Amino acid sequence: MLTQTWLPRLSFAPVNTAPRGDTLVVVFLRGAADVLNMVVPHGEDAYYQLRPSLGIARPDDVRKKKEERVLDLDGFFGLHSNMSPLLEAWQSEQLAIIHACGAPDESRSHFKAMELMERGVDDERGPASGWIGRHLATLNTGNSSPLRAVGMGTRPQRSLSGSVPVSALRSITDFHLGGDLRALQQMRAALETVYAGDVLGQDTLSIMDTLQKLDVQNYRSPITNYPDSEFGLALKQTAMLIKAEVGLEVSAIDLGGWDTHFAQGSSTGLMPNLMKDLAEGLSAFHADMADHQNQLTTVTMSEFGRRASENGSLGTDHGHGSMMMVLGGNVDGGKVHGKWPGLEEGQLVGPGDLAVTTDYRDVLSEILIKRLNNPATNEIFPAYQQALPNIIV
Amino acid sequence: MTLSRRDFLKLASLVTASAALSSCAPVYRKLAGNLPALPWTALSASDFLALNRITFGARVEERARFAEIGLQAYIEEQLDFESINDFSLDLQLSTFDTLKMQANELEGISNQLFDGYDREKVPNELRQATFLRQLYSKRQLYEVMVEFWSDHFNIFMDKEKEFFLKTVDDREVIRKHALGNFRDLVWASAHSPAMMICLDNQANEKSHPNENYARELMELHTLGVDGGYTQKDVMELARCLTGWNVKEHFWLGDFVFKEDIHDTGEKNVLGLSIQPSGIKEAEQVIEMLVKHPSTAKFICTKLARRLIADDPPEQLIEKATQTFLNTNGDIKSVLRVILLDGLPLAQPKYKRPVNFLLSALRMLNVETDGIALHDYLVRMGQLYFNWPTPDGYPDYSEAWQGNLMPRWQFAFALIRNELNDTKHNLNALLDVSSTGILQDNIDSITSLLLGAPLECLTRDGIIDSVRVAGATDQETRQIITASIIASPAFQWR
Repeated sequence: MLTQTWLPRLSFAPVNTAPRGDTLVVVFLRGAADVLNMVVPHGEDAYYQLRPSLGIARPDDVRKKKEERVLDLDGFFGLHSNMSPLLEAWQSEQLAIIHACGAPDESRSHFKAMELMERGVDDERGPASGWIGRHLATLNTGNSSPLRAVGMGTRPQRSLSGSVPVSALRSITDFHLGGDLRALQQMRAALETVYAGDVLGQDTLSIMDTLQKLDVQNYRSPITNYPDSEFGLALKQTAMLIKAEVGLEVSAIDLGGWDTHFAQGSSTGLMPNLMKDLAEGLSAFHADMADHQNQLTTVTMSEFGRRASENGSLGTDHGHGSMMMVLGGNVDGGKVHGKWPGLEEGQLVGPGDLAVTTDYRDVLSEILIKRLNNPATNEIFPAYQQALPNIIV
Repeated sequence: MTLSRRDFLKLASLVTASAALSSCAPVYRKLAGNLPALPWTALSASDFLALNRITFGARVEERARFAEIGLQAYIEEQLDFESINDFSLDLQLSTFDTLKMQANELEGISNQLFDGYDREKVPNELRQATFLRQLYSKRQLYEVMVEFWSDHFNIFMDKEKEFFLKTVDDREVIRKHALGNFRDLVWASAHSPAMMICLDNQANEKSHPNENYARELMELHTLGVDGGYTQKDVMELARCLTGWNVKEHFWLGDFVFKEDIHDTGEKNVLGLSIQPSGIKEAEQVIEMLVKHPSTAKFICTKLARRLIADDPPEQLIEKATQTFLNTNGDIKSVLRVILLDGLPLAQPKYKRPVNFLLSALRMLNVETDGIALHDYLVRMGQLYFNWPTPDGYPDYSEAWQGNLMPRWQFAFALIRNELNDTKHNLNALLDVSSTGILQDNIDSITSLLLGAPLECLTRDGIIDSVRVAGATDQETRQIITASIIASPAFQWR
């Protein structure tokens, strides 16, 4: 009576069937990160002319303190010193950087650019679902877990929207029925009875059991410490879900606050603090997941970059070209990929912005095809002809 | 059935005004009276199902009314919605100022000048009002149709200016014509700034046509994807629609036809040769589309899918289609056919999140302002006006099966009265409808929520499982009520 056995649970019929590939972690830096101060083109004189106050000093600039200088990567680019936790992954060739990367949209509107990027489309036309949502819908991995795709936060990210149900998870402790242990046992017993013989109900109960055993408060990675921030918590919980084998295929994580028009700080301050959170979080996650690096790819993205020149308030305005980082065991790392368009006059676009030489969809397409076993990039990024940038080994 | 006629008569004498809420009742409730706590009338399985299709979940007084007058009269009563007094709801919504505002006023109160736009206030009020209407309106069939058309002419409030334009569209397009004439509905939608922006017709110009609205007008709003149009028809209709646009600045949100960006050449849509005549060109096409047999069939199929079954019977669709054509798209006439002929053939449908929440709240006489439920709708995936694609929230059962956890959490949180400003009235209901014996209580609750009591064995099995886990009778009553809301059976309607 309580189970409607007369109605079989129908399933979607995605185009492709394949074993699941890597778990994909997508980190979105919301607000348009100033990538020129994250991965600094210190070999370019124009950079220092455009940013007399905000520019990060060359690695060999002895007039500045060591921590105020760039950490050289390849003789031309260098990392901001607050990004130094990522050096280890860089040196072990598990971190690839794709510079001057981004979307064709020239609106310089956060809202519009984020919307288009999360939908994976060029303009308002085209599907309104998200690119991750279409990835899930076009690949049958035989995985019906309610945690197949998780948006860390109060609601699923736009990129996750589509026909496959996804979960928003503020905290693993959300996957809980509430009440004390006694009440919980009673609720569980009742659910077990009413869901006897129901596959999805039993799956959900078993995930609930698994997650209840996870202790987020006291989770310690054996190797490393996550930063005590929302971003650190989201990564830590992603690691816990992967280790608990609950069927996680995609985790979407946001790190906001990058809209630095005003007093963004060069070596210390607002934006350097964000870089610290980002780099410490990613490196902690990378170290914690050392045993899983062959089944894991992490990618960072932002809706656009910022103006090449600093503005009058020691900040930077909305620009164009951005940068992506890809972290994982199968990444062609230790390299800055992509064609560098330069910062000289005539090389900048629009009101003085870094040009885009690699479309963000090229990077994502390569990850989808080579690491997530999904060849359906035509449906995931419709009306786009990708050129794979060779960031995966 | 649990309640015999003798029981019913005995209990009926016990009905008194419920005092449970009187101390904390909101003003509108004091003025309009409490929700009635009546013993619930036994309904046959098919009547229970029927009532749950034409409401957002059968309230006890609706069960009583339905049992009294029967399906046909009940449908007629609901179709004549303007005669139904909705005083209590009107009172409750009287402070929702944005519902009455014009687009430029809505823009004004959202625009915080230096801090950009407040993109929350207007949508939140519309969403809360939508929820309260579905929960408390006595015009349930009307609200069911408002929901249907809101999906059919879907507008995603997160896109650009839709966060305030949708309020106008909701009032002037959907609610105005929900039980009117289909032609007027399409006409109003085609002149709705929210729809123009939603489907990019404001970017549809002679020099660079945008086909988006033209395509969806045929594919989603009228003919249906297999309705017999071609890509060429889409392009030609897009040309007719060049210049259908939205005013800016002070007149923001008014429809405007911009002659200067209109393509003045000859067009041909679906075999109809269209001479250059400005705004009249697309008007001509709309008049043709709403009369097209494909449109009648497409709309009737969708209505039958919403109200009868995921795969509705072909004969029903044919009869409804004929009525649609004969009445020039009179929505009430079509609904009469679909409901009266169709409901006896109805198949179970998986409750969409809105239906799931509302049915529990309505059946249990819950008092709420709806705010605490917003978060659950988000997590279950059906926040109002938040479906990004123009096809509206899916109506097939399969699309919604797979995200049980928030449904379970809602069930337990509701029964424990843990949701802010949300209080169920289970005890008052049980007081008038059941003895103090646990088994009787559970029978009453299951017949309230599922239409009929469980078989004794099943019932006693659940009671045992909860008792073994150490629950007292009071806890058992609560936990079983919650787990019935969480159960597979309650996910279907």
